[in-house]
Amino acid sequence: MTELAEAKEQLTSASQQHDEPRFLLNQRLFARDLMEKLRLPRMQRFKFHDWPLIADQPLTWVSSNTDLEELAPDDEVIRVTQVGQTTVKIHIPEKLQDEGVVLTDIFTAAKNYPEIFKKNFMTAIKADENLLTAYHMAYLNAGLFLYVPKNVEIKKPIEAEIVQDNTQDQPLISHILVVADQGSKVKFIQHLTTVGKNENPANMMIELIAKDNSEIDFSSLDELGASTHTYFKRRADIGRDAHVEWAVGLMNDGDTVGDMDSELLGECGYANSKMIAVTTLNQEVGVNNRVTNHGKHTIGLINQRGVILENSELIFNGIGQIIHGAHGSKADQQNRVLIMSDKARGDANPILLIDENDVEAGHAASVGPVDPHQMYYLMSRGIPRKQAERMVIRGFLGAVLSAIPAADVRKKLVDILERKLTDGQQYQ
Amino acid sequence: MATLEVRDLHVSVKDEESKKEKEILKGVNLKMKTGEIHAIMGPNGTGKSTLSQTIMGQPGYKVTQGDILLNGESIVGMPVDERARKGLFLAMQYPAEIQGVTNAEFLRAAINARRPQDDQISVMDFIKKLDKNLELLDMSQKMTERYLNEGFSGGEKKRNEILQLLMIEPTFAILDEIDSGLDIDALKVVSKGVNSMRGDNFGSLIITHYQRLLNYIVPDTVHVMMDGQIVETGGPELAKKLEDEGYAGLRDELGLDIKLVDDED
Repeated sequence: MTELAEAKEQLTSASQQHDEPRFLLNQRLFARDLMEKLRLPRMQRFKFHDWPLIADQPLTWVSSNTDLEELAPDDEVIRVTQVGQTTVKIHIPEKLQDEGVVLTDIFTAAKNYPEIFKKNFMTAIKADENLLTAYHMAYLNAGLFLYVPKNVEIKKPIEAEIVQDNTQDQPLISHILVVADQGSKVKFIQHLTTVGKNENPANMMIELIAKDNSEIDFSSLDELGASTHTYFKRRADIGRDAHVEWAVGLMNDGDTVGDMDSELLGECGYANSKMIAVTTLNQEVGVNNRVTNHGKHTIGLINQRGVILENSELIFNGIGQIIHGAHGSKADQQNRVLIMSDKARGDANPILLIDENDVEAGHAASVGPVDPHQMYYLMSRGIPRKQAERMVIRGFLGAVLSAIPAADVRKKLVDILERKLTDGQQYQ
Repeated sequence: MATLEVRDLHVSVKDEESKKEKEILKGVNLKMKTGEIHAIMGPNGTGKSTLSQTIMGQPGYKVTQGDILLNGESIVGMPVDERARKGLFLAMQYPAEIQGVTNAEFLRAAINARRPQDDQISVMDFIKKLDKNLELLDMSQKMTERYLNEGFSGGEKKRNEILQLLMIEPTFAILDEIDSGLDIDALKVVSKGVNSMRGDNFGSLIITHYQRLLNYIVPDTVHVMMDGQIVETGGPELAKKLEDEGYAGLRDELGLDIKLVDDED
């Protein structure tokens, strides 16, 4: 038997053992075939091709130690916690369940809600895009599904606590699918962390399906560990008059490469993709943040801010693309990075691909040290250099910080930031 | 009693275009004590702002000769933040805008920077002090929750500089053209703020083109600066005389061969 045939036989038995529906297994097998011919994605000015992003392991179901601190039960909070492949708990108020809101792990969704699941799963991100998307589909082992029915508005943010389990030798291949049906509104916050020190890849994908007139606010606080190599891909398909806002705080300690994609498919859609990143030690991080205007009168905004400390590298590519026919659309982007040490390396590259005349497009980019005028001003009031530097940096990152809807998550992000900056300043 | 002394100060700056060092201050001498208000007047381009920035320690200004002494200790070569903690303050002509840092947070950080770790100002004391000074300067509470100087009008920025002065309570405050761009009402408010600081433990050096500000903040001593030097020193009446006769009049009276920037060729 060939290696491929063996791998597919293994996938089949693992899928059956997991009691997965046939269509999901078929998608896995198809994707496994694709892996034979697809290559790693490419990113301008960033090399990651020698990273261990694919684990040489069969699809295995393991359970993780979920000995986490129990949070006080609170009827108002909507929270889901996953450790590795294990879903610890899902808390969703009854009222929302009665309205038809579904929040489950991804495999339960495939089994219990096959219609809506099949219609949306891996439709924004496609398995055949590159080797890592095919790998994702073939070896998917964790994830969440959220469905918000037509015209339902969920006022409190949904909080997902995702813990990568590096106490074991298991990759985390996780998929979050959010479907916001017409006219619905939802805020989703995910917090990614790692327990344990084993080296594993994390392959983290998010699909947001924003139907006509819907609104999705998606915030992410990424705090994966130093021994994790991460590939992430987050894509929103945005319908007519729909709004999607991304606010990502990329605070991973390990090497990370990722794609943010907002596809403005319907007329008058709106996407605002905000990201901040702080890199430290010998870390390498590369991000493509792309917004594509397909529909007429769509607005696509990108705002990326990065702080590069110590011996690390950070590349921000901002890609604003306006497709022919997207009359009256707007694409605007800002990519800025601060370089905080002599050894730090980084770049902010705005890329505008405009195939339509009747549009408005703009970009701004900067790479450099903290503003000396701001530093002088703060220091002239007696504030010591390092503290002044942290204040200026926090101001520089402010636009994304203030976009995160939950005060406790915002506070967490500020705390991580303070810690990273303080540690990084020791190095200078 | 504290003292601030400038001795035979020569200062150069690098011209951005020609990359050549240009001497701006050519031997300035000045001595002041707490309890005194000094004013420095002078036409455009004579080095008034250079003097204030050099005393504060702006990195772009290079001291080539002479010294600056705070209570007898040389501060040339001392970093800006350390000078501030030793009691110097500069109300700036062009304050920086800093997004993401609120005015209140900034003020607390500035106050705490000069207090020991184990004796930081309590929230209650801070708010009390802030409210008192906001009222004195006719400023709204909202200003303190806004980001530092961000989107402030020219007048708001000046008031905010004076608010910082009142909150930080330095030993010596240099006010660099605090009157520029202010209408008469704002000028009165700003003056009221500075006057409230007057006393045995505070000294101020006020830099201005115009005599008008000195009607509201009456100085003990007036210095006139031309071409990088102090050319005349006197009492408040000197400012009035300048208002009447102009800088060119004084120059001619002193028999100085100096070209004023605003002179017609």
